[in-house]
Amino acid sequence: MLFQGLVGLSEAMYLWLVAAGLSLIFGVMRVLNFAHGSLYMLGAYFAWVAFRISGSFWVALLAGPLLVGAAGWAMEFGFLRRVYSAPEAFQLLLTFAFVLILDDAVKLVFGPVYQSPPTPAALSGAVLIGRSILPTYHLFILGVGALVGLGLWLFLEKTSFGLVIRATAADREMARALGVRSSRLFTWVFVLGAILAGLGGALSMPVRAISPGMGEFIIIEAFVVVVLGGLGSLRGAFLGSVLIGLLHAYGLLFMPVFELALGYMAMALVLIVRPWGLFGVREG
Amino acid sequence: MAPRRGTTRRRFLQTTALAAAGLAAPKAFSAAAPDLKLKKPIKIGCQTILSGPLGGYGEFMRKGATLAMEQINAAGGIGGSPVEMNFRDEELKVDVGVKNARYFVDDWGADFLIGIDSSAVALAVGEIMPTLNKVLIVTHGATEKYNEDLVYKRHVRQCFRVCVPVYQDGIASALVAKDLPVKRWATISPDYEYGHTSWKMFRAYLKRFKPDVEFVGESFAKFGTVDFSSHISKVMGLNPEGIFSTEWGGEAVTMVKQAKLFKVFENTKAFMIGMGSAMDVLQGLGADYPDGTWASGRYYFGYPDTPENKKFVADFRKRFDTYPSYPSETAYTAVYALKKAVEKAKSIETEKVIEALEGMELDRPAGKCVIRKEDHQAVYAVPWGQIKHDPKFPMPILTNLKVFSTDEYYRKPPFAPVEG
Repeated sequence: MLFQGLVGLSEAMYLWLVAAGLSLIFGVMRVLNFAHGSLYMLGAYFAWVAFRISGSFWVALLAGPLLVGAAGWAMEFGFLRRVYSAPEAFQLLLTFAFVLILDDAVKLVFGPVYQSPPTPAALSGAVLIGRSILPTYHLFILGVGALVGLGLWLFLEKTSFGLVIRATAADREMARALGVRSSRLFTWVFVLGAILAGLGGALSMPVRAISPGMGEFIIIEAFVVVVLGGLGSLRGAFLGSVLIGLLHAYGLLFMPVFELALGYMAMALVLIVRPWGLFGVREG
Repeated sequence: MAPRRGTTRRRFLQTTALAAAGLAAPKAFSAAAPDLKLKKPIKIGCQTILSGPLGGYGEFMRKGATLAMEQINAAGGIGGSPVEMNFRDEELKVDVGVKNARYFVDDWGADFLIGIDSSAVALAVGEIMPTLNKVLIVTHGATEKYNEDLVYKRHVRQCFRVCVPVYQDGIASALVAKDLPVKRWATISPDYEYGHTSWKMFRAYLKRFKPDVEFVGESFAKFGTVDFSSHISKVMGLNPEGIFSTEWGGEAVTMVKQAKLFKVFENTKAFMIGMGSAMDVLQGLGADYPDGTWASGRYYFGYPDTPENKKFVADFRKRFDTYPSYPSETAYTAVYALKKAVEKAKSIETEKVIEALEGMELDRPAGKCVIRKEDHQAVYAVPWGQIKHDPKFPMPILTNLKVFSTDEYYRKPPFAPVEG
């Protein structure tokens, strides 16, 4: 029973990494990045390439997200910043275009065949919890998710750069008036968000089949998560991911027929009662 | 300048033309062709899944159909007319599938339709075939409702199928399972028509073959499942001795990898995957595919040991640099079945082609097959086998092949309801 929740939590951690970046980018830049799932996909593919070259999972885990960060930089610097002043629909169109382009680019370069490198030996063991078996890899994922959460919190609360990010998220005009160079800030926030999504993808590489279009499924769930938790709220993204993960795991156990709908029902409920999300800020 | 050595596209086409026209060609596929003087190409519209995590399937289907088209055209076409093909992404969505079929017939001018991966799409497109009035040959979607209900009971005569239905996943599997030392079975399967109907059939027939089995649990995963962990932990909590699964494509790859992490293969006595011998799964899992896993498909490149099959595998590898997957064979066969039917009917009129296809015998790569007149279902046997790693092949292969006679596992008219 409790064990099922633990497994659900480990699944939630991938979602958290993607939702964190999505929420961060929206909070600071007010851009709804449709292509965030594609960055997750790129993370998996880049990590896979790094794995093929180096033969080491750990190198791949480091290189994948960093390369996605570079891709994120190119996206923001080359394209996104040109549409900040345009209506939101243009931003959506642009990021959606990236979804289609990146899916096809990946298919062109890597082919449609599923890629799947082996799980690293150090993490392919398992531990007994009661009478249930929990893979070491799932423990590792739980650890990474928690560490990233802690790291982000420290970064935002305890560093001056974090302060600038929070200030900009709270009031962009005022921050700019006080001398924050928002264009540079936006680039770094987008890169950070991309790295988080890339990390999610790189972590999924050895345990989930990598294929073009793999980002499309996670982006939908990530949107549900950030709407649940409140757009722009990292705490909301974390708890939203946990909630979705638990609903999924326990839904399968107790009401499998409705499992698919549970997450959306939770989202609809939150939208009715608190349209700005559990931890979002009411605007206007 | 000296002529270039090596295989160019033209050279390749010449070679296949010679091979197809020559003595090496399977006899069923090379009867002297009448000239129909159609003065137009024969157009075949093929829809299959070409995007997303299951998109690898569609690529294999496209390759099989393309190979057949190239061979036929190099040998003079169908009744003197060249074959033209158009491929569209089915997306496994009912509305998209129906739209594709209408587009093919109404806008593109298709003479025939083939393809379709999803059972639900096959049923939906089947429904509109009387309106479109063209022959549809399904090459993957496997629900028994297509041949048993749509064709046999409701007489939608335009619908045919050249791939083995869920009898492979649900009944041949039970014939394997009855001899395994497993009494407690559970499933992790797709949460749509195919997954549900296969599991229902497996339970009904295994219970008949071995009355003391128990079915202890099931977990159905929605389309687009990226993580099977909570499905696996749910099912393993019920202490099954055997896992039956009809996950396929990238989802089968993910499921097996994660089941390995959960030590499912150490803690159960058998793991069966209906479509586990599809080439994309063999290649996708590679070294990660546990030895001894039971797997099948709708064709397996290593069976049967016939000249037709050897030639098909060799041609396919030469053209695409990979072994064929089962949708490659079924799409290849669909195109050749249309050729044979059109040449026999000496016409591309739907009614005449239907008559020619009914009862037709084919020496296809997957073996001898008959297209049953009653339900328009191609009848041929496909093996189940166990995964084995053989250094002679770039991917895992099947060993310990179990082939059952089609009499034993194809349901027959009048199709009594599946109890269970």
